[in-house]
Amino acid sequence: MSVNQPTGAEGRPARAGRPSLARRLTPARRGPAPVGHARETGDRRLGYLLVAPVVILLLAITAYPLIYNIWNAFHFENLSYGGLPHKFVGWANFTAMFESPQWVAALERTLVFTAVTIAFDMVVGMALALMMHRRFRGRGFLRASILVPWAMPTVVSALLWKTMFDPGAGFVDYILGAFHPAWSSLSWLGISVWRSWVAIFIADSWKNIPFVAILLLAGLQVIPNDVYEAARIDGASWWQSFTRVTLPLLRPAISVALIFRTLQALLVFDVIYIMSGGGPGNSTETLSYLVYNTFIINTNIGLGGAMSIMLVVLALAVSFIYVRAFRPQTA
Amino acid sequence: MVMKRHVRWRAGVVGVAAIALAGGAAACSSGGSSSAVAASATQTIVFAESGLGTEGQQTQVAINAFEKANPNIKVTVQVLSSDSTTYLSQLEHDFISGSSTPDVFESDVTYPAKFAQAGWVLPLTQFKPEMSQFFAHEVAAGTYNGTYYAVPWFDNPEGLFYRTDLIKTPPTSPAQVVSDAEAAMKADPALKEGIAFEADKYEGAITAFLTVDSAFGGSLDPSNVNTPGNVAALNWLHAAVYTSKIAPQAVTGWQEGQVEEQFVSGYTPFAINYPFVEAQPMVAAVKGHVGYIPFPAGAGGTPGSALGGEMLGINAKTAHAAAAYKLIQYLTSAPVETARAIAVGDPPSLPSAYTAALYKAAPYFAAVKTLNNYSAPRPVTPNYLQVSSDLQTLFSSVYANASPSAASAAFAAGAASIKSDAAATPGS
Repeated sequence: MSVNQPTGAEGRPARAGRPSLARRLTPARRGPAPVGHARETGDRRLGYLLVAPVVILLLAITAYPLIYNIWNAFHFENLSYGGLPHKFVGWANFTAMFESPQWVAALERTLVFTAVTIAFDMVVGMALALMMHRRFRGRGFLRASILVPWAMPTVVSALLWKTMFDPGAGFVDYILGAFHPAWSSLSWLGISVWRSWVAIFIADSWKNIPFVAILLLAGLQVIPNDVYEAARIDGASWWQSFTRVTLPLLRPAISVALIFRTLQALLVFDVIYIMSGGGPGNSTETLSYLVYNTFIINTNIGLGGAMSIMLVVLALAVSFIYVRAFRPQTA
Repeated sequence: MVMKRHVRWRAGVVGVAAIALAGGAAACSSGGSSSAVAASATQTIVFAESGLGTEGQQTQVAINAFEKANPNIKVTVQVLSSDSTTYLSQLEHDFISGSSTPDVFESDVTYPAKFAQAGWVLPLTQFKPEMSQFFAHEVAAGTYNGTYYAVPWFDNPEGLFYRTDLIKTPPTSPAQVVSDAEAAMKADPALKEGIAFEADKYEGAITAFLTVDSAFGGSLDPSNVNTPGNVAALNWLHAAVYTSKIAPQAVTGWQEGQVEEQFVSGYTPFAINYPFVEAQPMVAAVKGHVGYIPFPAGAGGTPGSALGGEMLGINAKTAHAAAAYKLIQYLTSAPVETARAIAVGDPPSLPSAYTAALYKAAPYFAAVKTLNNYSAPRPVTPNYLQVSSDLQTLFSSVYANASPSAASAAFAAGAASIKSDAAATPGS
């Protein structure tokens, strides 16, 4: 075989009169269009036509309102003053928002609620996941039943918990009734700030911990047993196995759970709306609730729009931080 | 070449989408006709109302009679949400889009100022309405800058219910309400509390406050809320929960439904609520032992009641204003209001509709008529929704704070924001 002899892609000599595999796979740069190209173009057109209704629908129901909301955030738009012109006000709505003590207080509450609820949910969710990962009788039933709170709409679970904390009809006060006179029932919502938060926190965690637990359980199930075997042979204790093997290998599942739960907690609305209405006073008012109150109830579209944009920016910033922090380690 | 064709094709698809969007937006914002149609012409008008079961049916009965009396006018009922927030949004969508329908619409007593400021509701000046025939307080709720914009349809006064078997003579002062409640609680172990009222963080907290307010000489003027009368009224409510403890802390979660439940179940001798309670099923101990009065006045005050109810307005863009007003005149005529009161319990807005026939069917309407002479409207301002939010937060803070000076401190702190919200004209 001559050294100048052309070779195929696999390094074998190419047969005379036949182009190499690499050449065959490379599209021709010049010359007439390949046979079937016109048909391919037609197919592509048909594809565009078929997806066009969905694209139009998505533009109409997502892109248009989003863009219009941004537009409104830079304009005076308050339906209580529908007679005034919808004029451009620059950053005035954003300035009003940053200068509003109510917004600043809502931001602080939202961040504290997010930090506390995430820490609690992750710890309890991890404990539940580890428990469900073990073999025991009734494990399947437990795994299925633990999902019930998560599968329930938040409005329903919040209403259930509101009823449970009701001093007249709820079981919480019924149990505590042994410790105080029956007629002076203990109100959890509407009287005390900290009791209101405790009630909201319990309702929110009851609903969301199963979600964290199931995500982490899925992560646990893909960790091979061999790794634990090796750790045990090396003399690792249970705690060492957990911190040196389980946690590092659970990193992807933890990051997914953290991102989902953090965004849910940052945007918490329905449980607040149902259980406390932001009260007592506005002590349980979170950012989402304030946006709802400003935008929907008080019909201040401009200011509400600015607040909602800031909420989205906050959520995106947190997501970005998580994605950066949990991106896969490269060698 | 092929690439260019693709770019053009994609641009075409995007263009179609943009045109479709623009078309949709244009369709949404299409204005209505402005050429006036005479009341004598054959026409169809649209009447928007909230979709409440028996009330809706009674409205339809009245409309059928109206159509029979006016064969040239057909009325199409547009049933909107029974949730007040959603109802308001639905109306606003129509108004913002410049729609000429609904031609005539039902409005809560707090909406007319907002609609008037926006130019969405037709001034009634051209029809020269005889507003003096209605209860004055509800007329005030539909008047903005001295012009009438809405006609009172029914007038729901909130007042004080009491058990006549436990409270032999109605109280004549706020202090007597407390002492009577305490005495009743001692006398009847079945009672769970001395008074029930709405203290949840919602609109009802404002009407409950208003019911008590004028009894202390207060008045809910957003430009001046921090007055001795208002502070005294809020102090009384606060003390009811924390000092005399005639009201349980649970009131902070109660709306009118829970308050009604407490009264009709025989758990409380006093309750602040609306006339509808009279028509509810009651336990034997309560049935036949119900009194309904304005909240008794203290020194320097007048008997207290808060205005609730519904009004009727005309879309500013309608071409059928004359026919719409004719329908309003019919629905707010004395016989129709009396029939509505007998059928579904909506208190008439006309004193003349309180007839012997009505008293025979439901004797409690005599008390309702008395209360309607006292019922105070909520602040009449276009920005009432914001003012209401601020007031709800203020009251909710007071009910959550055990400090005796909570009421005055809360009013002092809330005064500035409420005043600015009421007077605000941002963007002007």
